[in-house]
Amino acid sequence: MTSATAFPVAKSRTRAGDALTKAVIYIALAMMLVYLLLPVYWMIKSSFQSNFEIQRIPPLWLPADPTLKPYENAGLLIPMWRYIYNSLFVSAMTAFIASGISCTAAYVLARFRFPGATLILALILITQLVPPITRVFPVYFLIQSFGMLNTYSGLIFAYVGFSVPFAVLLLRGYFQTSCPPELEEAALMDGCTYFSAFWRVILPVSLPGIAAVTIFTFLNAWNDFLWASLLLSSGEMKTIQVGIGEFSTEGGSTEYQNAFMAACVVSTLPALILFFFVQRWLVGGLTAGAVKA
Amino acid sequence: MKKSRCAASVAALVAGLAFAGAANSQTIEFWTQHYADKLNWNAAIAELIEDFEAESGIQVNHEVVPWSAAFQTWLTVARGGAHPDCADMYWLHSFSAIGGDQYGPMPINEYRDEFPTLEQDFYSGALRDVIWQEDFYGIPWRGDIRAMIYRTDVAAEVGIAGPPETWDEIIEYAKKMTKRDENGNIERWGFAFGSASNVVSWLLPYYWQAGGEMMTEDGKTATIDNDAMRAALSFMRDLIWEHEVVNEDSMEQGFDALPLFVNGKIGIIGSAHQAWGVRLDREYPEIDGTWAMARSAMGPDNRSSFSGAGYIGVLRGSENAKECVEWMKFLSRDENMLRLSKASGAVGTKPAVMGSDFWSDRPWKVIVGQALEDAHTSQHPAPAWSSIATPKPGAVLFDLMYDTIILQKDMDAAIAKAQERMQAELTR
Amino acid sequence: MNEKNIFCYIMVAPALIITMLLGIYPMFASMFISFRTYDLLNVQERGSHWVGLRNYYTVFADERFVQTVIQTILFTVLAVGISVAMGLFLAQIINARFRGLAVLRTLILVPWFVPPAIASVIWIWLLNTDLSPINSLLRDMGWTTRNIRFLTDSSTWGPISIPMLAIVAVRVWNGLPFIIIFLLAGLQSVPKDYYEAAEIDGANIVQKFIHVTLPMLKPVLLILLALLFMGGIGHFEMNFIMTGGGPRNLTNVMAVYAYNQGFLFFKFDQAAAASGVILMMSSVICVFYMWAQSRDNLR
Repeated sequence: MTSATAFPVAKSRTRAGDALTKAVIYIALAMMLVYLLLPVYWMIKSSFQSNFEIQRIPPLWLPADPTLKPYENAGLLIPMWRYIYNSLFVSAMTAFIASGISCTAAYVLARFRFPGATLILALILITQLVPPITRVFPVYFLIQSFGMLNTYSGLIFAYVGFSVPFAVLLLRGYFQTSCPPELEEAALMDGCTYFSAFWRVILPVSLPGIAAVTIFTFLNAWNDFLWASLLLSSGEMKTIQVGIGEFSTEGGSTEYQNAFMAACVVSTLPALILFFFVQRWLVGGLTAGAVKA
Repeated sequence: MKKSRCAASVAALVAGLAFAGAANSQTIEFWTQHYADKLNWNAAIAELIEDFEAESGIQVNHEVVPWSAAFQTWLTVARGGAHPDCADMYWLHSFSAIGGDQYGPMPINEYRDEFPTLEQDFYSGALRDVIWQEDFYGIPWRGDIRAMIYRTDVAAEVGIAGPPETWDEIIEYAKKMTKRDENGNIERWGFAFGSASNVVSWLLPYYWQAGGEMMTEDGKTATIDNDAMRAALSFMRDLIWEHEVVNEDSMEQGFDALPLFVNGKIGIIGSAHQAWGVRLDREYPEIDGTWAMARSAMGPDNRSSFSGAGYIGVLRGSENAKECVEWMKFLSRDENMLRLSKASGAVGTKPAVMGSDFWSDRPWKVIVGQALEDAHTSQHPAPAWSSIATPKPGAVLFDLMYDTIILQKDMDAAIAKAQERMQAELTR
Repeated sequence: MNEKNIFCYIMVAPALIITMLLGIYPMFASMFISFRTYDLLNVQERGSHWVGLRNYYTVFADERFVQTVIQTILFTVLAVGISVAMGLFLAQIINARFRGLAVLRTLILVPWFVPPAIASVIWIWLLNTDLSPINSLLRDMGWTTRNIRFLTDSSTWGPISIPMLAIVAVRVWNGLPFIIIFLLAGLQSVPKDYYEAAEIDGANIVQKFIHVTLPMLKPVLLILLALLFMGGIGHFEMNFIMTGGGPRNLTNVMAVYAYNQGFLFFKFDQAAAASGVILMMSSVICVFYMWAQSRDNLR
């Protein structure tokens, strides 16, 4: 509590000062919201226009002649719903598995000292140093040698492998600060095994961190194009990002721009909906932030 | 919830494996990219497959490789990755070199006799795409010809009757069509070099039209240090800086001529993809009647048009080469080549296809047929060609173009340096 | 080995194994190539042989590469700095309680749900000189008379150029939600009574932030900055899709350079060398982080 009392007591709060700060905050917030939402708005708006309208100069901020045809076309041009199902499956499995094994690893790396811990941490950290592009061929041939090309498990395996280092680091930082050691010690003294102390005491209070990691891994898997196009390219098994990639032509431009935007909009929905559900573990509610010293 | 989904997919996988095991009688894996008329492409291939199976009993599994992943896919194949039996491919020379004797495109010389009338039936330029170091690799099935495209309404507005026929007319017409507002912002560019983002493909036609060739027939010597190159580069440079009819940003990534053209912000495009005809017809009916295609303008020497091609070939490591050749023979028949051409919107590789009704029912299609007579293949017999011609900074031709056309550096020095670099690449 | 150690090893095993396979092994494979020749066009016939540091010399002799290295650092510092600053601000807002919070929260996080590849396509449209709605708006409002060439203007102030700033803006845009969520999880663990005590002592909004929030967030911030810097040095997607490193190499970063060398020019040896440089620079950051971390107490 020491830092909290280090204020010059003489400095009193003025109503004007507070109001000014609040005003600045609101303005800054508004500007940032425009910045954050502009491309998304553009994407959504374009999904209701004809190709010609999208390309108009000067641009049309609102659809002059809104139509649902792009959505119809999107479903015809690519098996959109099937691809979304594929993405859901792959991303959910990735998030589940990656969170699981990262939690266990991060926990012991955060709160225990054991021989080799620093080395293991260093190894995990090192993998973050390499740009993903350099992994392309080694990983591809590795997965090919396991016979897992063009299977869901191959892609999930790759995604989990790429997400784990980052998840471990994130969770480790979180486990270090989220929970005072007294809780664990109390549980152990009560006769819990190490594992049940972990399961019953630490996990419940670490839900925000775990929720964050789950969302991260899910989204990283959902949004990925490079690995999905390399490792899972057969027919109906493609993920939605690869499906959306089918809209690009040989020259690199996008054909059927409106249907492309429609497909993009639809592809962002599942992640958004899932986020709504996980959200409450992330913020407020169950966290035990208020542990009195 | 996850458990049942997991179980369901495991079941699906097992079922799939069982099924695959059962269907071991003559099935071949066939990959293609997808083409302009995407809605119809898969359906058209499916129909062809059905007819083929009825005739021969061989099943074909068709996979689509999206363009955004195509290069990566074929590169991986050439390095030993998973591959189909046969496929729609391109860049034969580079992928052959990368794959060596083990991977990549497979020469099928022993089946050469199955195609006895190859030279008579196909355009000779197209055949250059399937023969490499005297080995025969497959059949060319699609062409990519570039022609001029221009806005007829803009032309009418400034009092021009038809497309430019020579380089000088390009300059003259483009100047008339260029319009700026009071602040100097461009309202309409008179000219754009090309439609594709591949800027090197803009230089090539002008260089050929000036009489130049990129390399010797054996692919071992670069031949770009000559007056034709100077003429072509100067022409392009002056269009930007002296006549001010071309956007100086056109060589930067992301330049997309289509939306500008559709909005009437570009008057003439010198070397446009023939596939634009299909796209404009289909996606932008609002501007129907305001545009037309034309043959390339006449340069100092000739009026060559850029042309590329794709072919269908077999992959090394396939054990079904014989069945693939049957498939290729089936596809190479006139009526099937026409079906492929219709579905893809790409020009055919046989005169028989280009003479059909399908290729004369729109004015632009007739022009495309004529442009085929000016076709100059963009394929060059060197594996390093794709590296030399790749449209990114650091590549020989891109740097040459950028230094002379945009940065206006000393042309003789730049060309000499490019010649040297290209020669080094050819001897890799 | 006592029970505690066995427990630890078992808990850490799955993560470690998969990391070794998919992280360490590819890294070594790539580093291995960087010390040999590997020209994809002739590796089948001529093979690959040891050349030591020659690839690194070649790569550093390319003046484009040196410029690229400087730009990579600049990009990373700008992108990380701005996005963490904005992230702190926005995370605080999400953390507070007021009506309509769920909506606001989702709105702020929306950029996350748009994959970088798709976001780049949309941003390219929004920043295209002639087509940009932003340009058109700016001109309508009378703030500018000429279109801003967001992605193609090659005038520079030192190493900084408009396209660089434009891409930084897009990278910040894409990275913000991640940072916000990260910081949010950290903010959640700041006990509320610290704030109450501060208020009693007469602190205003800004002071509460500086004296309570920031110190409590220090470990989380440390990790976040380390991760962002390490990831930022190796960033590829935005720069590649939006400008490909242009105009005139002004927005090139090392990962794009490595990609071009390997996949466009088929010179895998030089690509591996460029990646090696990325690795070295990230290692420096990593070492710094480990040093800072080692000062923490462990059980």
